[in-house]
Amino acid sequence: MEQVIEVQALRREYVRQTRLFRSGKKVVKAVDGISFSVARGEIFGLLGQNGAGKTTTIKMLTTLLAPSSGECRVLGYRSFGEEKKIRPRINFIFGGEMGVYRRLSARDNLHYFSNLYLLSRAEQAKRIDAILKLVDLADRADDLAETYSKGMIQRLQIARGLINNPEILFMDEPTVGLDPLGARMLRDIIRRLREEGRTVLLTTHYLAEAEELCDRMVIINRGKLVAGGTPAQIKGDCATLEDAYVRLIEEDKP
Amino acid sequence: MKLAVLYSTMVLQMKKSFVRPMFRFCLLANPILNTILLYEMFRTAGEESFLAYVVLGAGLMGLWSCICFSSAGDINRERYSGTLALIFATPASFPLIILGKIIGNTLLSLLSLLISLVTAVLLFRVPLSIGSPLLFLAALAGTVTCFVVISSVIACLLTLSRKTELYMNCLEIPIILLCGFVFPVSILPPAVQALSRALSPTYAIELLRMSLYGVTDLRLFWEKFGIMLAITALYAILSGLLYRRIDRRVRIAATLEVA
Ligand SMILES: Nc1ncnc2c1ncn2[C@@H]1O[C@H](COP(=O)(O)OP(=O)(O)O)[C@@H](O)[C@H]1O
Ligand SMILES: [Mg+2]
Repeated sequence: MEQVIEVQALRREYVRQTRLFRSGKKVVKAVDGISFSVARGEIFGLLGQNGAGKTTTIKMLTTLLAPSSGECRVLGYRSFGEEKKIRPRINFIFGGEMGVYRRLSARDNLHYFSNLYLLSRAEQAKRIDAILKLVDLADRADDLAETYSKGMIQRLQIARGLINNPEILFMDEPTVGLDPLGARMLRDIIRRLREEGRTVLLTTHYLAEAEELCDRMVIINRGKLVAGGTPAQIKGDCATLEDAYVRLIEEDKP
Repeated sequence: MKLAVLYSTMVLQMKKSFVRPMFRFCLLANPILNTILLYEMFRTAGEESFLAYVVLGAGLMGLWSCICFSSAGDINRERYSGTLALIFATPASFPLIILGKIIGNTLLSLLSLLISLVTAVLLFRVPLSIGSPLLFLAALAGTVTCFVVISSVIACLLTLSRKTELYMNCLEIPIILLCGFVFPVSILPPAVQALSRALSPTYAIELLRMSLYGVTDLRLFWEKFGIMLAITALYAILSGLLYRRIDRRVRIAATLEVA
């Protein structure tokens, strides 16, 4: 099996200003030596409490953040140093209402990003219409994004994340704030991506969703890995994934 | 495809800037108000060439404000709306995207020159006569280049540090004074003049003014033009060096987002 994501002893620290004046500085260990790998075609879950280090991990994988130490490879390339090889082939979606140009229509947003992903005119025309239909935005495609509901903005994000036909799609809490139909649509899209042989790495707080979707997952807590495997393996003798999750987090209390 | 990146960013930036009330104020209202203010000041001072000081002064002040509040502030706006990280991680070159934004803003900001001119002509019947029209166009092109390059240095600093916007706002008026937007630099104290001479807009403005009056000494004109280009090239090299490091620096310092 080809491993498209390889993370080895990965660390990231932030230096945080603790006082307004003078140099009060505190080092936060956001990710503290985690290792895992993801095979091509897998749907992989990254679970954990708020502040566990999930977003930081995704940022390092998506070439947005430099690791403090450790190995972080995507498609065989170092995410810090060989990012040019990675960027055209991946994409990412951060949940919530950020990350779209609100003064542009959905179509214009997608047009702009398809230019930045260096797609040719012909490809653009083909992809944009298909994607708009896929996320069910076709009839509002020419209205300004600022007139959209929360869910529609999020679907636009998803559309943007698909614009370059990524081999790996990273999703950070993609279903947060989506209504039940929107969340189901997203799950369908994710499954469809798997059928096409694409890889998805996602974080979510909905454990049922994670169990339903993920082939494998890891649970991180305070920057460290506390469990990993298939949902069944993590569940062990617990009745639900949630029970197992709660137990793992409780056991890891400092 | 590189052109598509540049062009689509330019268009996007113009749309985005124009719908912002603050930008529209800087672009549309500011030049009108400044033109009236400067006109009254220069009228009582007995200065005859309203075009060279009133129109040009007000127009350039408008242009510069737009750059301070927009080209620069836009990086922060993208940061707060979460799009900075997105555009940063695309295969398109980040400096090219920034350049597209800056060119878009600067072209749009040129409107302030036009508005200042129209205000002066309609309100005060300032005669519209350009001594050396072709040289004026050349000087204008030089001015635009010089402002584009300065903006790109600023934008780069802003990507690296979130605090730059504060410094930018403090820089607005000093540059107007130092570069002689509304009076000749020669009236400044010699020590300050030395500083003015290191700033490329100083020359750009002198060139514009010379060509409005009508250039009598062509050699002097092109000499100043050369100096302006040389200083601008220096800034461009500086910004090139900065951009080379930017891709690594922002990811180490984690300044792409607000978090
Ligand atoms: N830019 C930043 N500067 C300082 N601290 C940060 C920054 N981003 C995240 N952190 C801190 O790092 C830790 C992990 O955050 P994050 O990766 O966002 O967690 P998660 O996504 O799992 O909720 C948290 O303690 C958070 O406060
Ligand atoms: Mg997070």
